Amino acid sequence: MKVHIKHWSAVAQWRWNTGNTAHDQDDEGDVCGICRVPYEGCCPSCKMPGDDCPLIWGECSHVFHMHCLLKWLGTAASKQQCPMDRRAWVTAERKANDPSSTTVS
Amino acid sequence: MALPKRIMKETERLVADPAPGITAAPHGDNLRYFDVTIQGPDGSPFQQGVFRLELFLPEEYPMSPPKVRFLTKIYHPNIDKLGRICLDILKDKWSPALQIRTVLLSIQALLSAPNPDDPLATDVAKHYKEDEKDAQRVSREWTEKYASN
Repeated sequence: MKVHIKHWSAVAQWRWNTGNTAHDQDDEGDVCGICRVPYEGCCPSCKMPGDDCPLIWGECSHVFHMHCLLKWLGTAASKQQCPMDRRAWVTAERKANDPSSTTVS
Repeated sequence: MALPKRIMKETERLVADPAPGITAAPHGDNLRYFDVTIQGPDGSPFQQGVFRLELFLPEEYPMSPPKVRFLTKIYHPNIDKLGRICLDILKDKWSPALQIRTVLLSIQALLSAPNPDDPLATDVAKHYKEDEKDAQRVSREWTEKYASN
């Protein structure tokens, strides 16, 4: 049997590599703990997901949309603490624009 | 300004999958304003009572906490005459990782565990510290008088 391919469409999908393959315990999936939009979506101030609305990692292991976290840290009420565990926020070495931090499948 | 997605998601879940003993319904004309009821926890002097509250999400939410107030009169050391609530997560311990649901659950827990050492209603707190049994009796009376349907 011969098969002739008449046309084909390429489909690509991307997601941030948060180092967290399992879903969160709270069954909400991988969402930003501040805006509750999936990591692969964008923060409420952005129109397009992707490199322009990257993630930020804390040394405490918590991950947020960078814009959401910076907005929080910009408020006096934050006391510069992680929203999840109230430890002092320290951004982890890992850079959101580091190619090794994203996967393409 | 359009309602943020987070508020829509929270509202949907509050209505579809309410926390036990808690209801929260947004006003039709202001989706940031909620009518709330909390049942008095079993084993507390507020048992059998249904307390009405109002909850408002300010423009800055979730960077600022919701504003919550009891509308039903309640005899509790951390809730004053005007219904204002002394609860750390509504003030300096707020975090944007908290939600309407977690705030209301915390208020429900506060009914089970009054904290007279951090009072808002000083006279009630004094009563609770000096004679807890008698203070609880008054709390039960108020529950029956003001919070029974």
